[in-house]
Amino acid sequence: MSYAYLFKYIIIGDTGVGKSCLLLQFTDKRFQPVHDLTIGVEFGARMITIDGKQIKLQIWDTAGQEAFRSITRSYYRGAAGALLVYDITRRETFNHLTTWLEDARQHSNSNMVIMLIGNKSDLDARREVKREEGEAFAREHGLVFMETSAKTAANVEEAFINTAKEIYEKIQEGVFDINNEVYLNKLFVEKIVCILIEYLLNYFIISKANGIKIGPSHSPSSPGGIAGTGGQGSSQGGGCC
Amino acid sequence: MEYFKSSIKYVVGTTPEPEVKPSGAEMIERLVNRLQSSSLLDDRRDACRALKALSRNHRVEVGALAMEPLLQVLHMDKTDSEIVALALDTLCNITSKEVFDDEDEAKHNIGEEFTEILVKNESSVSRILMFLEEFESKVRWPALKILSNLLNHKLKIVQEIILVSPMGISKLMDILADTREVIRNDALLVLIQLTKGNSNIQKIVAFENAFDRIFILIHHEGGLEGGIVVEDCLILMLNLLRSNYSNQNFFKEGSYIQKLTPMFELLTTCAEEPNGWSPQKMSNVYCLTQIVRALVAPNGPAQSVAACQKIMKSCGLLETLCNILMMVGIPQDTLTELINTVAEIIRGDDINQEFLANVMAPSNPPRPVILVLLMSMINDKQTFSLRCAVLYCFQCFLYKNVTKQMELVQTLLPQGTDRPSLTSGQLLCGGICSSDSLSIWFSAVALSHALIEGTKQKEELVKVHLATNIGTPPVSLMSQCITLLQQNNNIQSKLGILILLCTWTAYSPAAVKAFVSIEFSVSYLIALLSSHEFTEDVQEILLKSMCAFLIGICIHFNDDSVPKYTKSKLRDIVENRIGLEKIQDTIGNITKHEVYSRTLKHPQLSVKTSEEILLDHEFCRLLKNLETVVLKTISSKGDANNHNEDSHNYNLPENPMIAQYKDLIREQDAKITMLIDTVNGLTKEKHDLVFQMDQLRSKVDSLVDENKVLRAAHASFSDKLNQAENNHTSHEKCLKQIQILQEQVKRCEDLENQISKYEDIIKEMKSDNSENAIIEKLDKEIAEKTQSLNKLTQDQNDLLALMMDQDKLIDKYQKKLASLGISCDEDDSCVEHVENHNDSAVTNEKYN
Repeated sequence: MSYAYLFKYIIIGDTGVGKSCLLLQFTDKRFQPVHDLTIGVEFGARMITIDGKQIKLQIWDTAGQEAFRSITRSYYRGAAGALLVYDITRRETFNHLTTWLEDARQHSNSNMVIMLIGNKSDLDARREVKREEGEAFAREHGLVFMETSAKTAANVEEAFINTAKEIYEKIQEGVFDINNEVYLNKLFVEKIVCILIEYLLNYFIISKANGIKIGPSHSPSSPGGIAGTGGQGSSQGGGCC
Repeated sequence: MEYFKSSIKYVVGTTPEPEVKPSGAEMIERLVNRLQSSSLLDDRRDACRALKALSRNHRVEVGALAMEPLLQVLHMDKTDSEIVALALDTLCNITSKEVFDDEDEAKHNIGEEFTEILVKNESSVSRILMFLEEFESKVRWPALKILSNLLNHKLKIVQEIILVSPMGISKLMDILADTREVIRNDALLVLIQLTKGNSNIQKIVAFENAFDRIFILIHHEGGLEGGIVVEDCLILMLNLLRSNYSNQNFFKEGSYIQKLTPMFELLTTCAEEPNGWSPQKMSNVYCLTQIVRALVAPNGPAQSVAACQKIMKSCGLLETLCNILMMVGIPQDTLTELINTVAEIIRGDDINQEFLANVMAPSNPPRPVILVLLMSMINDKQTFSLRCAVLYCFQCFLYKNVTKQMELVQTLLPQGTDRPSLTSGQLLCGGICSSDSLSIWFSAVALSHALIEGTKQKEELVKVHLATNIGTPPVSLMSQCITLLQQNNNIQSKLGILILLCTWTAYSPAAVKAFVSIEFSVSYLIALLSSHEFTEDVQEILLKSMCAFLIGICIHFNDDSVPKYTKSKLRDIVENRIGLEKIQDTIGNITKHEVYSRTLKHPQLSVKTSEEILLDHEFCRLLKNLETVVLKTISSKGDANNHNEDSHNYNLPENPMIAQYKDLIREQDAKITMLIDTVNGLTKEKHDLVFQMDQLRSKVDSLVDENKVLRAAHASFSDKLNQAENNHTSHEKCLKQIQILQEQVKRCEDLENQISKYEDIIKEMKSDNSENAIIEKLDKEIAEKTQSLNKLTQDQNDLLALMMDQDKLIDKYQKKLASLGISCDEDDSCVEHVENHNDSAVTNEKYN
């Protein structure tokens, strides 16, 4: 299936807040009340349409357990978006947000869009974290906020799609430099050589550092046309996920 | 060597005596000392250089003495690429797995020992990882090589260290884009080692766009026609995908399967090579087929396998593979692997199976490719592995596809129209009747796959007759099988036929009936089992075991339609001739065998030589499912009688499992009706409740209205009440005021009384007052007198002042007179006059 952009997401947050369920609800549209503990990382994908363009979301669902934290860190670098999830019925998951945020900011690309998600909004009776608190935290740290329920599917679509919209806007604004393969911490010379080679190898289609990729429908022989990616994507027609 | 010597001289400084050469250890000790203590970078560098030179010949000493200092250097002097390069080179030599010239073979694990020491400290590994970021090849390359050495020796530990070191894997992935091919290729090798059996690392590598990079690299290196780098790339990809379902999902979702098709297509377009394929090309193709198979492996999750199979069909991968199969000049091994790959792509997927059925081989006349494959399976000139692959393919072709199974059986039944063309069924029967033992085994097993889970097919196959010789009447396929079982001396072919017979008779009373009605069939089995020869031979054990199993099936699935061999009669025969214990043991033997468990693991035959070929996967599964029930039926006599009657009464060919299920279904039916009843009851109740609720609601509404009215009334009433209350309070106030006023009035009266009293008193007082009046008169007189006195004194004063003025005037005149020369006699008289005046004043005073 052809797509105009490819965004990489990661889902982070304490164990048991419902990260895997959110992913399952988004990709398969179903809810699984009993879920195995995620070991390391699991992968899921879906196609969405924004602004008439097909966008492929590749989502890595990480393990929330402390033991896997070091593994999870490896996934920050390539991600364009992150869903930071807490459980509204468990105060401690909210309290740990700062640690997660620090981790994310330290290891990720500075332009990574982070969305704060208070999950399990269906369990309002057992709520321990007020909606306003989540909003305040998000405002304080410059995040987008939303309360979702993986069980009832409330706001799940919106959470993923709004994140994509945010990234998309950043691309339109030119904040994300999508055609430049950036290797950080490297000698300048190598960068030049790399970029040259990239062009030789049609490498420009990947943007690893940002987790964004231009669709495969792109003609590799026209490096000049990188910015104008919309054409191919929209020709596919929207709505198909 | 000369360089080596000179460097030692240069470094050590003192030229050693030619006769007394210092030992390696001494020399190294000095160098280490210098490395640690020297303050000059140049000196340390030289020491490092010398250590590097010595590290090949004196590996043990250098490793033992210099490892720590060298790691120190990596830390302290990390900015100087030269010394870092030398240190890394030395460490690389120390940990290398290759055996250097001077070393004994026995010491070949030196590298491993030093690796163990090195990885004990996690920070040293991450320090080495850090140097991967260094661009200079003299640093980056040895760092890579050390990593490779470490992974070689201590895979698990090093994997864990790299996994948790920040950005460790990302750094390695970045090197994959290095323009220097040596380094890039080494990075590829390191990644291959790193991804071995660690799914977390595999996932991170995949996350770092490994698939994209690998495809680009492969493309760059010439695809499947390329060299060993392509193979390495494919191995890395295989590592990432094999048994890693998350990555497989990623691969599928990332549309990478579609990218495999053009790679295979390259094979169909390339010109035929005169010398056949190069070994490298064969390895490349092999690796690529393994990648495809990893995605559709039978033991993978069914859902994802099915999805991959669909994509492989839709993107033309299956078609391309089939096209390659038909090509001329494909090496045997490659062909075998391609057949296996096709097999797994079609396994259990109707559409893909149908697709393969319709593929025609470019023979003359064109034949379905399945037929061509079966022909090569029966052909004893073909290689063994190829024949196994074809069997696997055929097995997958029939797997869970009743239509295809039925079609195969149908080809053996007499058709209305003449069909001279060769059919697959005929081929298999021909194989069963052939003289080659392997052909018999393959054909029998292939035919057995057409019968799995298909009672209908089994019944149809009973009707099949073969014309063995011209002139003799046709015999049924089953009796032909039994004849073969009795006459053939090759155990392998016997096993094949037993597999077919077991599959055939299982779950099918019709087939059992056909089997026991054939002369000598049961007696042959009994005779074989009752012989008491003890044997160690695997094949013999399996043969006996399978015969026993066949008898067990004949008892278990017997519908007693053959009077000679009813269920109970057969059991009696077995009990008398063989013994219940023994037959149970014999059936159990097979499952204890290692061949059994190995075959059960994977649907594909896992044998290397033709001698090992004994059991079939599907047969083993059948045995596993039926073993316990069959054993139970054989042993339970009392139960069986009842059961016999049951089956007579219902005239139904039942087996306990079906009965069980029926019971279960009945139970569930009962439950369902019960549940439906309750549901109905509940819905009724619900309706009632809804009705009640509506009523209540209307009541509530009216009550609410009433309530409103009442509330309004209440409000007005309470207003009034308030007013009333207010009035009441004001009234009270008035009363109080009145009281106060009354009190005041009382007081006023009192006061009036008092006043009148006082007036009386005053009147009395006034009457007593006559004396006072005289005093007052006198006082008045006194006041008058004092007033007159005051007047007089003032007059006197005036007179005195006047007199003073007179005096002054007199003085003046006297002076004037004196100046005019007149005497002052008169003057005296004047004075006397004044004095008189004064006397009279005094007397006046006295008088007062």
